[in-house]
Formats: sequence, structure tokens, C-alpha cells
Amino acid sequence: MTAPFISIAWPQLMVALSLVTISGAVSVYYQLKLEKDLAIGAVRTFVQLLAMGYVLNILFGLNNALLVMGLYAVMAFFSVRIVHGRVKEKSISYLFPTTAAVLFSCTLITMLVTKVVIGADPWWNPQYFIPIGGMVAGNSMNALAISLERFFSELRTRRDEVEMMLCHGADYKEATVDIFRKALRAGMIPSINAMMGVGLVSIPGMMTGQILAGANPEEAVRYQIVVMFMLVASTALSSIIVLLLVRRRCFSPAMTLLLRNGNGK
Amino acid sequence: MTTQTLDKTALDTPILEFKNVNFSWPGGHGLSDVSFAVPAGQFVLISGPSGAGKSTLLRLAVRLEEVAQGEILLRGSPIDTFNPPELRTRVGFVQQTPVILAGTVRENLLMPFTLQVRKGIPVPDDNVLLEWLEKLALENVALDADALTLSVGQKQRLCLIRSVLPKPDAICFDEPTSSLDRESRECVERVAEDLAGQGIAILMVSHTSYHPACPHMHVTVADGKVEVLS
Repeated sequence: MTAPFISIAWPQLMVALSLVTISGAVSVYYQLKLEKDLAIGAVRTFVQLLAMGYVLNILFGLNNALLVMGLYAVMAFFSVRIVHGRVKEKSISYLFPTTAAVLFSCTLITMLVTKVVIGADPWWNPQYFIPIGGMVAGNSMNALAISLERFFSELRTRRDEVEMMLCHGADYKEATVDIFRKALRAGMIPSINAMMGVGLVSIPGMMTGQILAGANPEEAVRYQIVVMFMLVASTALSSIIVLLLVRRRCFSPAMTLLLRNGNGK
Repeated sequence: MTTQTLDKTALDTPILEFKNVNFSWPGGHGLSDVSFAVPAGQFVLISGPSGAGKSTLLRLAVRLEEVAQGEILLRGSPIDTFNPPELRTRVGFVQQTPVILAGTVRENLLMPFTLQVRKGIPVPDDNVLLEWLEKLALENVALDADALTLSVGQKQRLCLIRSVLPKPDAICFDEPTSSLDRESRECVERVAEDLAGQGIAILMVSHTSYHPACPHMHVTVADGKVEVLS
């Protein structure tokens, strides 16, 4: 019996790789100096996805809850690392807030979706838990980076305003209420906007993948709807958690703004 | 460094008192062994070269910076024994650059009364606000006007009113007149002097050519050292 989709052989994969050279050519022609990043990115895509494919194959065979959770923890760890690479603020430590946000929100949403919505049995079934968890962690990672970047940049540019509020007797929450709101909105908006264009402008990755793999488009659509809703929930939850924890760390017990400039002031 | 010898009774209950205060920025410079007391109604003029630590002195009084050694007392109690928002309701601070929030003049003036720390405190009515606007030559500014459209001088005077309305025991002015024209500057200085006359302790960082009309204490800051002149 033949597979319900066209399998991609290695030579075809190499042809696809050549598509990256288009980006490379643009970078060389306009001297964007992106060639190194592009090469590293292409190699990492290849290696990381192939490794993930092998690991998933093994996991599906072993069906072991601890191993599934271990792989999920590795994915969460890398999402935290990537957030740290993207957010430039160095005067406040946000390792714990980011880790807490990813672990809590992503695990909760992924468990809810696999157990309650999809009804997978067991709930950690790697066929569902790993791809769903990966999507949640990936989107939360973007939301966290956007929220944190926005929060820190607003706090720096509006330092005088925050200090003015503190000087009038505001606590740190009152002094940053508008900045907090803006950062939270910035983190949530991409996943909300994605709901607007889905089906009209874009056919999202998961649905595309299922259709290419031969699934009934109506089935694929139902999964995609679940995915869209879960991403909206997880980005909101992770952004709120990280901002609540990071905001507290930006102020001393004396309600003094700890975010300093290069000269210490 | 000397301690100002003023009227003894007044010194017995100073509103603010710096006692052997030391502070240093990460770069090394700061303030060392600062001691002086500010009784109720005292106008303290603080002057000195740029970067000498004048603003730092005021920021320490409202705990925007933390004292490394020594202590600052508010009515005899160390300021770190106060809840920070509570401390800042008693010691006001007017920044060098006026900070105005998006909204009307009324909303800006009443902002301090929207904060949790002043919950239950009566909010000044429009008559009180209009009186203050008039006192600071802002009678042409409507309470419903967009505060962001005001000039720098008008905004600075608005900031002064906003700090005075909650009736603090002391107000720290960090060069409030540096970016003002002569008329606005004199207006701010006159009101600050009036406030001292009403028993509020005033600490004002200002240019050396300014001589308050009211009795005052002159504090000079240079190279982290503070000298108190009569």
C-alpha cells in the first residue's frame, strides 16, 4: 500500500536547500552581512529537525512518560535560552521569570489540550503532547521576547514618568500600570492578529502539514482551530506571568527603580 | 561640613535631618559625611557645580537612592522605617524636567489622589485647583485643557501645584527653574518661598544667583562635600 502523500527523498531535500541561496544572494548583493547567520540557520534547521525526527521515532516506540516529559523540558529550556538571546536588557535578571512562565503556561495549556480537548489517552501520548507542546512553547517564546523587550524599553524611556509617580506615593504597580498594559498587549497581539488572517490569508503550518500528510482537510481544520485558540491562551498566560515577576524585580523594596544606565544612574 | 545652628527649639524637631550620610554611585563619585537639619518652614537653597551631587541629596531624601552609611530622619524617625509610598506623601519631589501625563490639567493635578496611599483622603475641588492656578499665573489655563499642549514653563508650574496639593511636610525641588523664562522662574520661586512661610520645609537646588526673599539656609555641594552656610 502506498503512503497517502508524496515522500520527500534526500536529493529533493537538497534541491529545497538550494532555495536558501536566494536569500544568500540577496544578502551578498546588498551587503547585508547575513550570510553567516543564514548558513548557521540552514544547518541548524537541518540538524535540529532531523534529530527531532529521530528522537520522536524512538519516543513513539518507547511510549515512556518520563522520556516525553524530558524532551518537553529540553524544548522549554531552549525556548528560555532563545528569549534570553533576543532580549537585550542585562541589568535585571529574568531567567527565573521566563522559566516559570514557559513551564507553567505551556505545560498547563498543553495538558489541557491533549487531555480535555483532543482526549488523548494517556494525556502525555508523544504523538500529541510533543507537537502541541512545541507549538505552545514556540509561540510563548515569541510572546515573552516581545513583552519583555517592550516592557524594558518603555521603562527606560519613561523613567522620569515612573519616578514622578513613585515620588507622589505610587507603589511599583501603580507607577507602571500603563507600561505593563502596553507590554502585555504587545505580547498578545501577534497571536490575536493570526486569528484574523487564518483561512483568508494563510493556511497555518500544522494544517498544511496534516493536509500534505493526507489528512481530511476538515479534520485538519478542527485541529488548527484548537491550535489557534490554545496559542492565544498560552501567549497571554506566559506574558502575564513573566511581566508580573519581572516588574517586581525592577524595583527595590524601597520602591526605587533598579533599571540603571551604563553610568550606574 | 558643619551643622547649621538655627533657633534651638526649631532644631529640636527638624522635619528632615541628614546625619553623617554617605552615598556613592557605581562610578565612584557621590556624597560623604553629609549632616544638616531642616526645621519646619526652613527654606534650604542648595547650589554647587554640575555633577557635584545636589540632585543626589534630594533623591536620597525620598529614597529614590539609598543611603550607604548614616541616616536621614523624617521628624526624628529614620526614613527607612516608613513605608516608601507613605514617606513620599510626606516629602514631595519636583523633578527638573516637568513630567506631565496624557490627560487634562485637572487629571494631572489630581493624579496623586488616585493612588492607593491616599485612599479616603478628600480630593480638592475645582475651586482649590483654580486658586492654585491663579497663584502661579496660570489663570488662563482651563482645567479641562489638554495638559500636554502646555508650554514647559506652564507644565513646571503644574508639577509644583501637583506636589503641593497633597500638603506634604517637605518639598524637594530639583532645579525646577532651569528651563524656565524669567517670569515663570520668579513665579515658582515666590510660591516656594510662600510655602516655606506656611511651615513647609523647602529644599531647592537652584542657581547661585538666586537669593530667596525669605530667611533661608544655603547649602553648597562640591566634590561630594556639603557645606552649610548661614
